[in-house]
Amino acid sequence: MSKEFRMRATVNQKLTEMGERERLKELLRVKLTECGWKDQMKAHCKEVIKEKGLEHVTVEDLVVEITPKGRALVPDSVKKELLQRIRAFLAQHAT
Amino acid sequence: MKMEDMPLSGPDNTKLEALVHDIYSELVEDACLGLCFEVHRAVKQGYFFLDETDQESMKEFEIVDQPGVDIFGQVYNQWKNKECECPNCKRLIAASRFAPHLEKCLGMGRNSSRIANRRLASNNNMSKSESDQEDNDDLNDNDWSYGAEKKAKKRKSDKNQNSPRRSKSLKHKNGELGSSITSEPYKYNYNTGISYETLGPDEVRSLLTTQCGVISEHTKKMCTRPSLPDADAVVESDSFDIPDGQTLMSRLQWEDSPDISPTDSASSKASTNHSDSRKPKKKKRTSLGLNSVGVVGVGGGSLTGGSSSSAQSNISLSTKKKRPKLSAPSISSIYDDLN
Repeated sequence: MSKEFRMRATVNQKLTEMGERERLKELLRVKLTECGWKDQMKAHCKEVIKEKGLEHVTVEDLVVEITPKGRALVPDSVKKELLQRIRAFLAQHAT
Repeated sequence: MKMEDMPLSGPDNTKLEALVHDIYSELVEDACLGLCFEVHRAVKQGYFFLDETDQESMKEFEIVDQPGVDIFGQVYNQWKNKECECPNCKRLIAASRFAPHLEKCLGMGRNSSRIANRRLASNNNMSKSESDQEDNDDLNDNDWSYGAEKKAKKRKSDKNQNSPRRSKSLKHKNGELGSSITSEPYKYNYNTGISYETLGPDEVRSLLTTQCGVISEHTKKMCTRPSLPDADAVVESDSFDIPDGQTLMSRLQWEDSPDISPTDSASSKASTNHSDSRKPKKKKRTSLGLNSVGVVGVGGGSLTGGSSSSAQSNISLSTKKKRPKLSAPSISSIYDDLN
């Protein structure tokens, strides 16, 4: 188990050190904007805010409401591409 | 840093996949969080709902989602079935065909003048060829119709006096054939109104020795490709028994030839180049020309006078063209073919 733990830590470290994490983040952001995910989420946010009231909405409220829906709404193509890239990175640098 | 203790087989593979998915989830959550911060800041700063302040204009420009209409509510092919009245012919024309119809109707488009010319030419051909039918029985058996060409060609020469093509071809031809064309009593080029009936035998001979003379059925133009020296000899007689080059030379000399200034060196060079060409029996002009030149060059040494210049000019012209490679027969075999 600790082996695995160490392994994960190393992988994460490598991802960050090599800048791959930032690249992946940026890629995901761009893809989500392109496919309309961001606009969908913003519309949902509007509803939540109207529900909670403009004055009293907090970050926590938003996070709790948005994140599950956001995870679910990511298109399959975007998800597959990202998984592919992560796997490629691991194959290249982890063994 | 290497991960030696991470084999990729069996249960470890699932672990690897799990790791991949974990990384992916992290990235997605990161994106969601970024969005939340952005929205929250917009709400607190007050610019989140800025685009929703004016209810009236929002209703006015709302996205339309009906069939047959675009998102602005406009109909796509509204003008497709409308008809317009042509100011020229007063007919009702469909909207999509209106512009091309106007082009033809007013006679101002690019194609309309061409069509009109063609129509006029064919009308003239019809009327002319009917009247000449008794006279030109033999000629009408061929593809050409001599009688109508003259008028048709003449019209075309009148029309296209200033076209760039005409001047270009004239310049090109003049450079090679010298004053032969301009010195002729009638002007002919690819646009002339030539009729073989009206020309006398001498004129026809001189015409055909310098140019190809084939009149196209479709365009009614005479081909002005420069021909070769003994083309006329072939036209006159299918076979001629000339044992040596001297007689051939004298035969060629009566041809009308242009005053060109190619040098003797050019002629001898050309003749050596073509001495290995063979003469076919049929009236193939290029190869015939080559042969005659080769024969003359071999038999007569350096050529002088008009015939040589015409031969040279034709040689120089034909060198520029592509020819099939022929074997090198002897002179006697050439004459055998002729006979």
